[in-house]
Amino acid sequence: MANVQPKIKSTVQCVDGTVGEVAHVIADPLSLEVSHIVVRTNGTERQVPVSAIQAAREDVVELACKSDQMAGFPVFKREDYLTSKEVEIPHLEDRVHAEPGEVFVPFPELERSCARRRFFAGFIQVLGALIGLPLVWPVLRFVMKPMYAPYDNRWLKIGNVSKIKTEDVGVQFIFKKSFKDAVIQREEDKNNWVIKASPGTLSKIYRGKDMVFTDQNGAVVWVNKATVPYVAFSGKCPHLGCGYKWRSHKTRGQVFLCPCHLSLYDASGAVLDGPAPRPLDVVPIRVSPTGDIEVIDVEYKAGKSEQVRIA
Amino acid sequence: MNGVAQKIYDFVDERIGLKTLEAKMMNEPIRGGSRWAYVFGSVLLFIFIMQAVTGILLMFYYIPSVDHAYASTQFIIHEVDYGWFILSYHFWGSSAMVVMVFAHMSQVFLWGAYKKPREMIWLVGLALFGLVMAFGFTGYLLPWDQRAYWATTVGVEIMDKTPIVGDFIARFLKGGPTPGQMTLSRFFVIHVMILPAALMGLAGLHLFFFRSAGPAGPFRGTTEELKAKTDFFFPRQVWKDIVAMAVVFLTICSLALIEPVQLLEEARPDPGDYHPEPEWYFLFLFQLLRWKIFFGEFGQFVAATAIPALFMLLLAALPFIDRSPERNIFKRPIALVSWAVVMIGILVLTVSAILNREFLD
Repeated sequence: MANVQPKIKSTVQCVDGTVGEVAHVIADPLSLEVSHIVVRTNGTERQVPVSAIQAAREDVVELACKSDQMAGFPVFKREDYLTSKEVEIPHLEDRVHAEPGEVFVPFPELERSCARRRFFAGFIQVLGALIGLPLVWPVLRFVMKPMYAPYDNRWLKIGNVSKIKTEDVGVQFIFKKSFKDAVIQREEDKNNWVIKASPGTLSKIYRGKDMVFTDQNGAVVWVNKATVPYVAFSGKCPHLGCGYKWRSHKTRGQVFLCPCHLSLYDASGAVLDGPAPRPLDVVPIRVSPTGDIEVIDVEYKAGKSEQVRIA
Repeated sequence: MNGVAQKIYDFVDERIGLKTLEAKMMNEPIRGGSRWAYVFGSVLLFIFIMQAVTGILLMFYYIPSVDHAYASTQFIIHEVDYGWFILSYHFWGSSAMVVMVFAHMSQVFLWGAYKKPREMIWLVGLALFGLVMAFGFTGYLLPWDQRAYWATTVGVEIMDKTPIVGDFIARFLKGGPTPGQMTLSRFFVIHVMILPAALMGLAGLHLFFFRSAGPAGPFRGTTEELKAKTDFFFPRQVWKDIVAMAVVFLTICSLALIEPVQLLEEARPDPGDYHPEPEWYFLFLFQLLRWKIFFGEFGQFVAATAIPALFMLLLAALPFIDRSPERNIFKRPIALVSWAVVMIGILVLTVSAILNREFLD
């Protein structure tokens, strides 16, 4: 009987009288047709194939057998079935109507063994990890390639001391730095401030001690003599890395001022006001007999009270 | 529909159940009826789509290299037909996105719509908020002008101060110890690939969770009143949404016309006369760092890292701390006052950052 739509709770009649009612409907997942009805009879649910149905009318399903033959149909085993909501069978609900009630579909024989399901789940995860884990290290190294570039300790010519006319006044030196930026060979404008320090300012900067600069391995790269009056400051504000300037301030006179977060430094680089956690960074400087200034473009992390060199 | 269109519709419907899909999308009952207050989510989706469209168009000409980023952006503005408009729309669209995110979050907060059973929608929403801010941060480096360079320099230095992972994150973003080509490359790929993919995924999840939990509806009214006013998503709410989208669209277009994007000088490690400043929606944080109590290394950590992180954590914990089912904002005085304090705080800090500009000149 093609595609019968027996209704749930319909009365089920055998040729010799009423035997019970339709409790559930079972659909075939391939043909999308009703394959069985489950008949509740004398407190037992029995599974009756649609081939046993003679006619399905409004509220009544007629079976072709006698009522004493009902016991011959197998007892409905709930655990062998899933509801249509628990499985993904396209168009099943368009084809089989069982409202109000649930359409059951068979739980495939191959899916009932719990041990195998667990084994497969574990196996899938292990294989997934075997694909994913070996990629972690190469991918990490791939993205980290440029992150820890070694320090650049080249000396760069930035100008001549003849530009500095007065003691304890910040003079800006903008210079070109050429370098290889990944694959691009390029030149960048860099920016240092140089002062000719008066003896008082000089002792504030060096406190009588020479300043030693080292490379990654701790080897000495250069020593700034505490007696050389020319002092170069890195152009990067030690607060958060903006570019500061030499400006006149209402109450404090001539100062280094960072326009970002309003840090103020005196000519020796000491913090007068504002959020900066440390004085301006002194960089290695050497002055030739002709007055040419060379520096190493040392860069420190901003925002730290200690100097942490990064380039 | 005429014959052919109907046939095509039926063909598709038979195979994928188009009618049911349509019905499920449109026939979502809205407790208490459609409202103008519910337009923000749809408007955000609309702004995102427009950002994607204008962003893809900009990539036809933009070159993500330190040699060419600035020149190619200038080319878009000055040479490409309507380039100035596409770029300006994208620029103002990003601001509109931030404004709408704040409006959307405020609405959800004031309506108490983050409460059970909608905690997961709220959490995904917070992640989306983070993505929108990340979009802004990575986007304005790309033109490689002075604003771009300095905002990024400062922003990355702030992240560098995050305990333990800060140094790695900063170097990862910069692609090295200092900003350069690798920084531009990384911000570019994050802005055009990683963030859009993440946003689409999370926005999908956000909508899925929203549909699973259903709209919260008004915080007042008896069940009978709400039932009487209930309507479907289509047509009244869709109509309100589309009107709001049109208003936002016209606003962004007007801003793009009146105030088109103008680049500053090309980026270089000397700010010259330029006073570095982030985009307006980060100004409040920027101004916070100028406060005396946040001076020094520790103060800066508190203002730039700890306060924003704690604020986000508090927002994430909100549905789990505030477990009372009361949704009426007028019966939740702490929530109302906190919201007002945060909004006024952000406003005051932003305005004072703007006023400080004059002091600098």
